[in-house]
Amino acid sequence: MIEIKDLEFNYTGLESPGMHFDLEVAGGEVLSLIGPSGSGKSTLLSLIAGFLMPAAGEILLDGAAIETLPAARRPVSIVFQQHNLFPHLDLYTNVALGIDPALRLTPSQVASIGDALERLGLSDLRRRKPGSLSGGQRQRVALARALVRRRKILLLDEAFAALGPAQRAEMISLVKNLVQENGMAALLVSHQPRDALIASERTAFLCKGRITALQPTAELLEQSALPEVREYLGSM
Amino acid sequence: MYPQAIPAALVLGLLAVIVVAPLVGLLQLGAMPGFESGDLQFWQSAYIRRVLVFSLWQALLSTLCSVLPAILVARAFALQPSFPLRGFLLRLFALPLVVPAVVAVMGVVSVYGSDGWIPLGRSLYGLGGILLAHVFFNLPLAVRLLLPYWQAIPQRHWQLAEQLDMNTWQRWRFLEWPVLREGLPGVMLLVFMLCLTSFAVVLTLGGGPRSTTLEVAIYQSLRFDFDPVRAVVLALLQLGLCLLVAGLTLKLQRLPEVEISLDRAASPNAGIFKPLQLALILLTAVYVGMPLLSMLLDALTGPLSKVFTGTLFWRSAAKTLLIGLSAALLSVSAGWFILRYSASLAGQPGRARLIDLAGSLVYVVPPLVIGTGMFVLLSPHVDVFSWVYPIVIAVNALMGMPFVIRTLGPALRQNHARYHLLCLSLALTGWSRFRYLEWPLLRRPIGLAMALVAALAMGDLGVIALFGTPETATLTLLIYQQLGAYLIPQATVTALFLLLLCLSVFWLLERGVGGRIDD
Repeated sequence: MIEIKDLEFNYTGLESPGMHFDLEVAGGEVLSLIGPSGSGKSTLLSLIAGFLMPAAGEILLDGAAIETLPAARRPVSIVFQQHNLFPHLDLYTNVALGIDPALRLTPSQVASIGDALERLGLSDLRRRKPGSLSGGQRQRVALARALVRRRKILLLDEAFAALGPAQRAEMISLVKNLVQENGMAALLVSHQPRDALIASERTAFLCKGRITALQPTAELLEQSALPEVREYLGSM
Repeated sequence: MYPQAIPAALVLGLLAVIVVAPLVGLLQLGAMPGFESGDLQFWQSAYIRRVLVFSLWQALLSTLCSVLPAILVARAFALQPSFPLRGFLLRLFALPLVVPAVVAVMGVVSVYGSDGWIPLGRSLYGLGGILLAHVFFNLPLAVRLLLPYWQAIPQRHWQLAEQLDMNTWQRWRFLEWPVLREGLPGVMLLVFMLCLTSFAVVLTLGGGPRSTTLEVAIYQSLRFDFDPVRAVVLALLQLGLCLLVAGLTLKLQRLPEVEISLDRAASPNAGIFKPLQLALILLTAVYVGMPLLSMLLDALTGPLSKVFTGTLFWRSAAKTLLIGLSAALLSVSAGWFILRYSASLAGQPGRARLIDLAGSLVYVVPPLVIGTGMFVLLSPHVDVFSWVYPIVIAVNALMGMPFVIRTLGPALRQNHARYHLLCLSLALTGWSRFRYLEWPLLRRPIGLAMALVAALAMGDLGVIALFGTPETATLTLLIYQQLGAYLIPQATVTALFLLLLCLSVFWLLERGVGGRIDD
């Protein structure tokens, strides 16, 4: 389980009030984060990943603090909307880098890559370069890498935004299965409320650097009385 | 028929005449009876072998000495995105683009000459001095050309590398080198080409027959030995080499579509290598800044009043200005018509690229080769020395065309893509279109292109050396004449004045024509 307690952050040079987050995500759960642009969704993911350092507060994974660890030491895998893969490397090497950047792999690690590619339907494409893959296939490769890294936390930063509705739904289902099978805690940032409905039992709504609502997804999207939520959904 | 096609065709036709006619003249002379008999031997002579080998050798060494350190310096700039002097130093590294070659030579002499801060003695004249001057020009250029490759690496990739715990070597291997290797051959060939066609540096710092390149040998053949036949052979040889290198460059060069950022954080910090990288940047800055500073100090203590009271000096300054401004106006006007037409061919990218390439035709033909061709073509009919200004202006305008196309082209194409349909719907054409749409939106690149061409033309010591006389000298030729007469203090003062003139004209055109940034 990941716990975020009184986590504070402020972008230097900005006069807006600082961001403040409190959150818990259980193992096997995909928690969706929705909210208007600039509300702090991607900032929260960057704080968890270690790309940004908080001013105060804690990030706990199964009770152990990780907020002071450098990005490389955190038990985190992240999938961005784009630029997840190195374009000059083939698919297999892109995945293998997730295990060891020196590419010194044990036979069992090589086998785990094969399994991950098989699991995501990419076995036949292992020697292809990312440029020759579709958007959906590229995101599958990024997921395969997250899978072989065996980290406890999976962050998806608008990872499927560039895909069509059907492909997005398919990828989200895939993520849900992977997260449940591996007991990961996942946070999914999306601009599409429909994604949250498919992906998550619970969804957090962020506004101006705060989590202003954390509710069952259907309840949040259909019954929330909060004006900022209504305004956000109305503008979708 | 596109309405822009006629002016573009006229300009391209004129360009073809200016470039191709002299070449035809050279080839005709090459095919004349009597030419072959005496000159088959010449082709095979030890002289030509020595000149050829030295031309290639100095260009190769200059390229390696400029580009290899530039990789380290550009990397240091990329990995140190936020140290205080970064923006200033990157601007300083753009200065050699505007500094005339002969001024740089004076700076090099001022630092490494017998009375300089680091006296090198006689070894300054020859390969050593040529390398010092070429590195002064090309190291900063290569840094500026290479830096965008690092800035083209997506921020997400740096973050990914951080998360995957890649060390410095692994980041280099998986992130940096794959991007860099796309552009490195093109950058190396470009620098090689610039060094191969370098004239003023070799003319002033070359140490006699042992350190002569093809360009200088052409000049010597025409001006000192009065041997046009030998000049033609050398010019054809130089043309062949340039065609080869330019062909390879065009094939291999892939510049990323990223502008140099002066202040944006582009990547994570470099950790333990930070002090080393900062030291490397500062060392390069000292190397680039030292000749200019030393020359400035020498000039300020030099015979200022003696130089500034000379009539010849002011006449030369006026001619320098005339040539610079005329060449800039001519080059940008010609470039404008070509680019307007190529932008209108948005649906035919191959044809548009071909037209842009035609405008940059001069890239493959060194100015001295064109000058030699003109000399051969015109000398039987007119007194070429009395036609010096039109010839020098035309050739310098031509030399500036690749800069115009590179500076103005992307902005003009983007403008066309965005607003052409709107202009059609509003019937906005001709002068109205220029006044209300193109000028307000494109005056910045127009100003920059004019500034670049003017600075280049004012600093030219190629064609003017071929056709100029003491009476028609520009400031660059005056400096060369002063150097030849061992009037080093006077030459230093003139060089400083020329530098200030070039920078002032550059600034005035860039700001005056281009407008303020917030306009």
